[in-house]
Amino acid sequence: MEKVGIITISRETESLGDEIATQLSKQLNYICIDRDQLTLLLHEAHQDDLDENIDRQKFLIWAKNVKEILLKQIKRGPIIFLGRGGQTIFQNDSRAFHLLIVSSPELRLQRIMEKYRQDEVTASHILAELDRKREKFLLEALGADWKNPLIYHLVLNTAYYTVNQSCQIIQEAINNLGVHRTPKEQQLLFPSLDFGGKRVVFVHPSEEEFARILDFYRIKWLYEPRTFPLEWDSEGNVVEAFSPDFYLPDFNLFIELTTQKQKLVRKKNRKVKRLKDLYPNIKIKVIYSRDYTHLLRKFEVEEDV
Amino acid sequence: MIESKLGECVFTQSEIEERVKEVGAEISQDYMGKRPLIISILRGAIFFTVDLVRSLTIPFDLDFMALSNYKTGFKKVEIEKDLNEEVADRDVIIVEDIIDTGLTLNYLTRVMEKRFPSSVVTCTFLDCPDRRFIEVPIHYSCFEIPDIYVVGYGLDFRGDFRNLMEICTLYDPSGRSTQILKQMGKGEPR
Repeated sequence: MEKVGIITISRETESLGDEIATQLSKQLNYICIDRDQLTLLLHEAHQDDLDENIDRQKFLIWAKNVKEILLKQIKRGPIIFLGRGGQTIFQNDSRAFHLLIVSSPELRLQRIMEKYRQDEVTASHILAELDRKREKFLLEALGADWKNPLIYHLVLNTAYYTVNQSCQIIQEAINNLGVHRTPKEQQLLFPSLDFGGKRVVFVHPSEEEFARILDFYRIKWLYEPRTFPLEWDSEGNVVEAFSPDFYLPDFNLFIELTTQKQKLVRKKNRKVKRLKDLYPNIKIKVIYSRDYTHLLRKFEVEEDV
Repeated sequence: MIESKLGECVFTQSEIEERVKEVGAEISQDYMGKRPLIISILRGAIFFTVDLVRSLTIPFDLDFMALSNYKTGFKKVEIEKDLNEEVADRDVIIVEDIIDTGLTLNYLTRVMEKRFPSSVVTCTFLDCPDRRFIEVPIHYSCFEIPDIYVVGYGLDFRGDFRNLMEICTLYDPSGRSTQILKQMGKGEPR
């Protein structure tokens, strides 16, 4: 088992995330830090908690303080951190295991009805309000889609599993994190060139060189993993789409390499602009020919790749 | 193909001296009462590190680290020279000559985090945000530069020009660097 210092649990309202956190904490002997616990720790450290008027800047300052406090806790022993944007605070941190718990809307509504002893209509209002608050916080915290499965190690749907079963699955997932993977299995996760390099067929040699550079710096990547529809005809058929060259899951960032002539670059720029308009939460960076030449020159690589 | 020949001056020796002292004073203020561990990333940052630590008015420890450079055919970045000092519970300041793509700094930060420092910040002589691929936090920066290739004060081109006391562009026959420098109000021919 790789050393997991912190399990962050993000969850939909009434998706059994809290119950799973409590049980997992007992089974793994991890200290569970929820919102109240965190407030207490912040208070002890003479730091302010977030108020209702949260914005990205405030969140970043708060997140830095929270990370410092939690790192001190981790030194004493592993922790489970429930909610509060933990997946963002410990993003790209190799000590962290990020878990997202979801459930069906019907079950979540049912749980609200039972918990608050309310009829379906009132319960649906309560659920909508709780969801809205959570969405608002996480949108400010992440600045992106918090339900994007690519930012988590594991996404669990409790519409299909009990709390007990969920905890077993999570333990199994943590135990198998990064071990028992054959090179072939590893390749399926991230098709790094290190593991054979035959699976990915790059369109252009510059993409292959770029992939090698990412491998060198141990940055996980996926090649053209997603296609974004950009234009539809009157019948709803996709008539134009765009597949950025790379996706870096640890940074939730798409990268498009373009070493083409100016005329083609204009066409690509138009596509990127359209993508940004249609999918404002998607982060994309275009690397132009000049940027790429600089990179190769820096590494003293032949510039004709 | 770029020539191994100097272009224009971007930052003079006196501009560099003045700015490095300012950043040194800023760090001294921020770390008052602490003893940070300054980690200089070899080889480019050595010139900047020497001047920076001379301007500090607080006690500090100094250590060096070197990473392998990317070359086609090499598989993974490696630590060629590791630290002698322990990082756990220390306030670490990583000193770089230039931060452009963010790839090296991102790797370094990950390495440091696994060693449980009390805090990690970055201090760079030059920051080139236009060339950034990956966002990395930069806490102290002497100068921001546009997307041009520069040498001097530790930065080299194929081993040359490290010992220049100023920052210069490489000769750029396209005239692009000159044009950018003009917009900055810079660019005295060297």
